[in-house]
Amino acid sequence: MGQRDERVFALTGATGFLGSHLMDALIRKDRSLVILGRRREGVSLADRVAALLAWFDVRDRGAFVETAEVDLLEPRLGLERHRYDALCGKVSEIIHCASDTRFSERSRREATETNVHALPGIIRMAKDSGARCFHYVSTAYVSGSGPAREAPIVSRMFPNVYEETKAEAERQVAALCSLQATPFTIVRPSIVYGDSVTGRSNRFNALYYHVRALGLIRDIYLNDISHHGGRKSREIGIHLEPDGILHLPLRIFLARRGHVNLIPVDYFVAVMMSVLESPRSGHIYHITSDAPRTTEELAAYCERFLGIRGIETVYGEGPNGSVQNPPEEIFNKLVRPYLPYLSDTRSFDRTNTKSLAAGLSAPDLTYDVFERCMSYAVRVDWGNGNGRRDGGVSRASGQRESEEEETENGSVNRS
Amino acid sequence: MCKIDFLGTGVCASGARRGYVSFYPEGRMDLYAALAKGRVPVTEECVEIAQSCDLCGKCDYQCCFVTGLRPTRVMEALKSHVARHLAAGKPVAHADADPFLQSIRMIVGDEWATNDRAIAVTYSHAPSPLAVPALPRYVILPGTRQEISSLLKLLGSAGIPWVVRGNGTNLMGFELCEGAVIDLNRMKEIEFDEKNWSVRVGPGVAAFELQREAAQRGYRVNVAEPAALVCGTMMCAGIVSLFSTAYGSCADNYIDAEFVRTDGSFFSLNEKNAPNLFAFDRAGAVSPGVCSSLRVKLHPMTGDESGALVPFDSLEKAIDFSRDCAMRRIGLAIGILGPEYLSSFMSPTQRTAAEVKDALARKLGIVCMVLVLGDRYAMASLKEMGHPMIGQDLFRVLGLGLPSLGTADWLEFIAGLPEEEPFGYLRGGGFADLVEAALCPSASRLVRDFDPDLRPVYEEVYSRPDLTDLVWLNMFRITSSRIGREKQFLPFLMYLPLDHALIDDLCTGLGSIALRYALKNDFGFITPVDGGKRCVLEYDYFFDQNDGDEIDRIRQAAAEAGAAIDRFSARTGTIRWVKYIFQQGYCRKENLLYA
Repeated sequence: MGQRDERVFALTGATGFLGSHLMDALIRKDRSLVILGRRREGVSLADRVAALLAWFDVRDRGAFVETAEVDLLEPRLGLERHRYDALCGKVSEIIHCASDTRFSERSRREATETNVHALPGIIRMAKDSGARCFHYVSTAYVSGSGPAREAPIVSRMFPNVYEETKAEAERQVAALCSLQATPFTIVRPSIVYGDSVTGRSNRFNALYYHVRALGLIRDIYLNDISHHGGRKSREIGIHLEPDGILHLPLRIFLARRGHVNLIPVDYFVAVMMSVLESPRSGHIYHITSDAPRTTEELAAYCERFLGIRGIETVYGEGPNGSVQNPPEEIFNKLVRPYLPYLSDTRSFDRTNTKSLAAGLSAPDLTYDVFERCMSYAVRVDWGNGNGRRDGGVSRASGQRESEEEETENGSVNRS
Repeated sequence: MCKIDFLGTGVCASGARRGYVSFYPEGRMDLYAALAKGRVPVTEECVEIAQSCDLCGKCDYQCCFVTGLRPTRVMEALKSHVARHLAAGKPVAHADADPFLQSIRMIVGDEWATNDRAIAVTYSHAPSPLAVPALPRYVILPGTRQEISSLLKLLGSAGIPWVVRGNGTNLMGFELCEGAVIDLNRMKEIEFDEKNWSVRVGPGVAAFELQREAAQRGYRVNVAEPAALVCGTMMCAGIVSLFSTAYGSCADNYIDAEFVRTDGSFFSLNEKNAPNLFAFDRAGAVSPGVCSSLRVKLHPMTGDESGALVPFDSLEKAIDFSRDCAMRRIGLAIGILGPEYLSSFMSPTQRTAAEVKDALARKLGIVCMVLVLGDRYAMASLKEMGHPMIGQDLFRVLGLGLPSLGTADWLEFIAGLPEEEPFGYLRGGGFADLVEAALCPSASRLVRDFDPDLRPVYEEVYSRPDLTDLVWLNMFRITSSRIGREKQFLPFLMYLPLDHALIDDLCTGLGSIALRYALKNDFGFITPVDGGKRCVLEYDYFFDQNDGDEIDRIRQAAAEAGAAIDRFSARTGTIRWVKYIFQQGYCRKENLLYA
């Protein structure tokens, strides 16, 4: 029997994708947790957390899990003095996972509030609680173009509001924590998908969203062919091939060749647990894959999984005036905000991560892993609640998704 | 609704022959209910009413199209009831001998006045929760203004109260009276004077009938909902439609009107010594008499008119946009429509309407849409304004593909497209094409929810381009009554500044009152008038007219809502509730809006 760890972790974003998986892992390690989350109409934070604990099947493990509904933008997190002091008296380490991952310019205000303006309050709590360490979950993509070092951000140019605000957040974490002498770490995961071993996930954004979109487009034309004579399909060269595969000509336009850096959530959790075990203040850790996949490889996975053929990746300046068929037009609209991630050429330095978690490396995203994860998503109807009921699962979506403390966007499951 | 041939599939022949509402399906349904409750005996007219129905089924086509009801079942029950009564040798009640009735008949003819209770009972109540049921002593159908004059003199001399009514569509219940009900159904003259861009209509002409005649000659008139009588609506509300944006309201709509005063004398508004009906009194006014004819303005139509729906994720943005259009004189007709309105109008059945509302509001995040109709130059301007929109072609695809819309998984995927601009997916042709592939629009699929025997007729109806043409649908408004398909509705209609803060305050206030009384309620529509300086707002309460408890609640809620509107009016000085326009609809719009 190991000695029980007496540390109490305060965790934000616990009802989001990464945060919930961290919560699960910490509970399985018998860590004590204070979950900090927003008030929400209709369902309490405690109920939202309870649903997740049930989904992870850790509800009855007897771990100490306390919830506190807070507002990170308010002084003392919006709590009364005695309540705030009591919380600070308990907490010995803070993991700040909460994030707004929307990319669009029209989400700037909300993204800035969640990702930047909320920081001083939670960092102040680190000081007031005398926290041993403040852990900030960022994103690998703040490092800008070129070689991505595990070092403070230099770049000031970002492709979207999300990266811009996360970069600003990293600067503030370093500055504020240094000022108040709170040790801190910054972890930078790339794009995260479900569990590579079980295939399970409780969010179906990012990779899932694109696969599901292709699946829906496939279904539209299969239905047209099967039940309505296939006129619309024929107009754009969509047909069923003799082997039952749907020929769906669809070009994805990318500026250049590159790759997509994807990691499974179990790997993210494993590295995070190592960071929590032996944090080195001021260190930045990249949680990324050394074997990123190309868009062609992912397209091939999609074709195989969905029973379609005809996806083509075209490199250059875009359609260049060529007429796009409707599926292409819609799919490329969907992909547009994520183009930087689909043809990424960066290589991520992992020196700090390797030194901390020797022997740990991201499992390859093989077709088997892909198939396992996507099959699970299909089984639970992409979180729509139409398939097997699975508490704590959120639906697949894009822009309008605003899930829990970790405000998820369409494409990137990451903090 | 069953008195007018909205679908071109015919209406009840006996109704057209006898004129009384009792000989139309809606009257027969009322009569059967009264017989079942023992409110009236089987009378001579009752027997004729029952036997004059040949169960042709035409009323099912007309009625089910908008209400989902099938009156033929009631017609069968009525006929059976009367047949059993006669077979059993039970007595048939004769109308009471009444010398005064003879005097009335001297004026209008024996056929056109009655005191038979089987007829009177069908004029005794209204769907409005505010209406007080009243069984009239006489029902009279005059045929000329001279007959109206003589009637008013006779009734006045005898001290018998009277009301005039048309198709009984008054949602406030103003068409009821214990004395005489004067039904104007026979006075359906329509005389065009194209040289002077006008058409003279009798007081029994309904909006649909006039619009149909005008459209056949290449004109358009500004009229209200299709079953409402043109003269009556002018009197009650000044006529409001989405076309009021371009054509105005109140006195903007007509050239002259002829009246019969309550003492039986005549006047027309173009006479120098006529009463000043162009004025507006905010405290309300008494009736100037009976409008016996109206010269309505004709408006030209161009062959390039079309429409578009511009979706918005907030009412404020929709108001800004519609004001912008109105100020710039872009479009012939503009209306901000809520999802309840849109889904009800578009959907052939209530089940589909519920799915469509969910799809529009929840899945696509549409708070409201602005409908703009106009010629090709207006449409080009609209495009230049840069908002994503649903054009006529996509509307047709959606309209005929509604059955697949509610279950479409791809809707949420489309709504989730990470665009900088709400509804940006509507740009480009790809979306429309994908939607067409996904929905497989067809009239035959659209009508599958109807009973099998109705489907062939409805398939033919929906195959007509009109039924998915935004311009035609808004000119003729034959689907507007669908708003009351699930539940009867009580509209609060008012003129006010096209100002979001004020409208939001009003809607919030009216909504909270309805919620307190557990009533379904929703924002209905907003139409800019007078270049966007003002607008017409409709907010609706819904209730089950067969639920006594709900009727009690809506009465209380309506009283509170009325008081709230009065308070808003007193505070702002700029709100004109339609309640006070009643009897003053012939006024100058400017007197109504600004005086």
